[in-house]
Amino acid sequence: MKLQITTIFLGVSMLIAGGSCIKKDNYPGPNASLEGSFFLDGTSSKTTVQTCTGNFSVRLEQLNWSSTPTPQDIPAKYDGTYQNTELFSGHYRVSLKGGAFWPVAPTEIDINKGAKLDFQLTPYLLLSNFTATMVDSTTLSLQFNMEAPIDGGIPTIIEMQPYVNTTRIVGPGASIFDFSDANKKPINKEWADMTAGDKAPEIIVKNLIRGRTFYVRVGVRFNNDDKSSNLSEVIKIDVPK
Amino acid sequence: MRHMKKIFSIAIIGLVFLTSCQKLDIKPPNVLSDDQIFANSAGIDAYLAQVYRKLPIEDFTYRPAGRDGNGFNIHHEWEHFYHAGGACGEMVGPYGGMDIGGGFGYWPYADIRDVNYFMETLPKYARNFAGNTVNELIGEAHFLRAFYYFALAKRYGGIPIIRNVQNYPQLSIEELRVPRNKEEDVWNFIGDDLDSAYNGMPETSVSGRANKYVAAALKSRAMVYAGSIAKYGSVNFVDGDARAQGFVGIAADKAAGFYQKAVDAAKLLDGHYTLYRKNANKLTNYTDLFLDVTSPENILTRDFYAGEPERMHSWDATMSPNSGMNYMTGDGLSRCYPTLETVERFGVLDVTNPDGTPRRYNSLADLWQGQNLEPRMLATVYFPGESLRGKLFDIRRGIYPTFSGTAAAEVVKTTRTFLPSGDHTTTYPGDASLVIIGNAGMYPSSGSDDNTRTGFYVRKYINYKETDIKKIGLFSSTTHWIELRYAEVLLNRAEADIETNQLDDALLCLNDIRDRAGAPALTLADMTPDVVRNERCKELAFENHYWWDIKRWRIADALLNNARFKALMPYFIYDEKKYIFLKEPESFQRNYNFDKKFYYEPIPGGELSKNPNLYPNNPNY
Repeated sequence: MKLQITTIFLGVSMLIAGGSCIKKDNYPGPNASLEGSFFLDGTSSKTTVQTCTGNFSVRLEQLNWSSTPTPQDIPAKYDGTYQNTELFSGHYRVSLKGGAFWPVAPTEIDINKGAKLDFQLTPYLLLSNFTATMVDSTTLSLQFNMEAPIDGGIPTIIEMQPYVNTTRIVGPGASIFDFSDANKKPINKEWADMTAGDKAPEIIVKNLIRGRTFYVRVGVRFNNDDKSSNLSEVIKIDVPK
Repeated sequence: MRHMKKIFSIAIIGLVFLTSCQKLDIKPPNVLSDDQIFANSAGIDAYLAQVYRKLPIEDFTYRPAGRDGNGFNIHHEWEHFYHAGGACGEMVGPYGGMDIGGGFGYWPYADIRDVNYFMETLPKYARNFAGNTVNELIGEAHFLRAFYYFALAKRYGGIPIIRNVQNYPQLSIEELRVPRNKEEDVWNFIGDDLDSAYNGMPETSVSGRANKYVAAALKSRAMVYAGSIAKYGSVNFVDGDARAQGFVGIAADKAAGFYQKAVDAAKLLDGHYTLYRKNANKLTNYTDLFLDVTSPENILTRDFYAGEPERMHSWDATMSPNSGMNYMTGDGLSRCYPTLETVERFGVLDVTNPDGTPRRYNSLADLWQGQNLEPRMLATVYFPGESLRGKLFDIRRGIYPTFSGTAAAEVVKTTRTFLPSGDHTTTYPGDASLVIIGNAGMYPSSGSDDNTRTGFYVRKYINYKETDIKKIGLFSSTTHWIELRYAEVLLNRAEADIETNQLDDALLCLNDIRDRAGAPALTLADMTPDVVRNERCKELAFENHYWWDIKRWRIADALLNNARFKALMPYFIYDEKKYIFLKEPESFQRNYNFDKKFYYEPIPGGELSKNPNLYPNNPNY
């Protein structure tokens, strides 16, 4: 009996001794959030700067933690918004990484619960008047116009291509290769060298599958750092049976 | 009794005095000390052996995306089909796409420290070595250090140059956090180290170790890299802080200087090495060049051997078809196959009639037999219908009961009429002797990739002289890896020549290579960057050069623009009893897309957190 009490006492004191080494982590959890939208500059339209998931992202650098913080990126969603609800509160530098629009200067903000930050973006090119017409039972003709909101200094245009997918989420990285990348057209021109015809092109997509529904858009790709694209709106196409 | 006490006391005092002479600080008997290592050449050999073992040589076992954080000299690595060429279109392999773009965080400063320690310590023991030995060994150490820095510079651009052994706590943490050097300075440092190596080292060396010409050969490689980074990296680049501060990128006007250094270094090898020409049959000659350990073309090799300790690889067992039935190999499996694009660098294969219908062949071998194809091509790649170890590369994608129409119309059809098969036992209905896909043929797209996806298999480095299939297993190959060979030096020189308008010299080098290869001679008018690049891609195919070459030429983002690669698919037409070959996408139809940021790998995250002075990281990471 005496031995048991000693053992219990020893066990308890070991636990206390061990427990006293544990430091309480009193840092707050990731209780802040940041969200926002990407608007076409001067408007409240999100559709024209629309981009596919992963095409560009919002980069956060937590400056109150380190002067050389490890960046974390929030990808832009296909509907022109972004959101991260699991951030640590603090002072951040916010910048945009990638994307085919004129650069936006980084800003520094304090991020707490429910923080919002919208971006006004000016794309290199607006792909307007986009139409998609079935010219026969399985062939699609895509036409659009390229317009430059700002004329000089646009990166070299390398190619254009259609993006065809079976869902509304369609664009670079989310398309069917045989209808999309297989119809890529090289351009390799500066904007200043583009003729009126170059700026109003037609792209043909052949051998679509009868009886299916596709979502279609077009993109023009630039030779900038991440070779990103400006994209048109999305059109739904029902291929007749 | 009193007497006894006295003696006892004296004895005790004596003992105390005696033990006080024992030093407590004794050297551990299981660790070799500098006194022992630097005592004689055996100690030096042992020290350098471990440096050579860790050297970043991209041999058979190299794994470009790494395994468990390592890419070089990985213990028990057998999957040699994780080959860099298989991620960038030289071949198609098990990588799903651009999986190797970010590297594996190679950061060998511990190994560089070993070399620096050697350089600092050896002179203290100079009395132990006769003649010029110390200078020669210091020269060798410069070569080894340059080899490490070359592996770093081609990945990261500018990285910290550490010339001396760093010690803690003698140096403070802040002093140990060495910032990055500019990319240009790193390439110059590599050049200077190789000059010191050249000046110090002897003319010859034992197999697997460097001599002065090995240093010159590496210099020709490093300087042509630096030249192309300066020239083409100034046109095609990703902007960012690291570029603005010179940590990546070299000014374009420095290109000519680097290229000239490459030419000068390459010329130092004149008369000391020659291309392998032992066999009059050009095909056999080119095949044997990679198997003959006595080749006068070998500049630096890494040897593989059986015995104790053993170092063997699995190239033979993982590059030829096993077909799950020990077909050409006794173990292992293949997963990496040359693309049609690589094969057609040697010339377009004409498999179509003028009217667009596929040309009919009586046998698979008719594709290449008597076709006057370049011997080097046939020695680099196994075509359908060739043989290895008495077994046929019996490759079919399937059998058409009957076939009509053109090749172009056939390959775009959404439903095809050929019979595929997922195994090597299913025979054609009504013909029990005809296995549908053949013993080495391809599985359906939805099936396994353990047999060719392109119609081709790698031939380079395959040890055809071992005819016993049972002996071709994992860790059974002892073929040496040729890290530097004279043909590469000639190609480095020709490329630098062309970039600096020394066309006569370039022509000389390229025609030497082409003569050995069995290809027709070129003329001065052919001396363009594209021609020398194509020659390099052919000559050095599957030798772990292609990935770095398309990067330093800054063409990878255009070549691998969401690209898919092609195959040459053999089919049998049953009613005609003929073969046809169709050029169509490889059976897995994988996409390969190179992001421009991959021209440099990111500085490893763990190193950035240890040393904030390594910031800024490379652009777009």
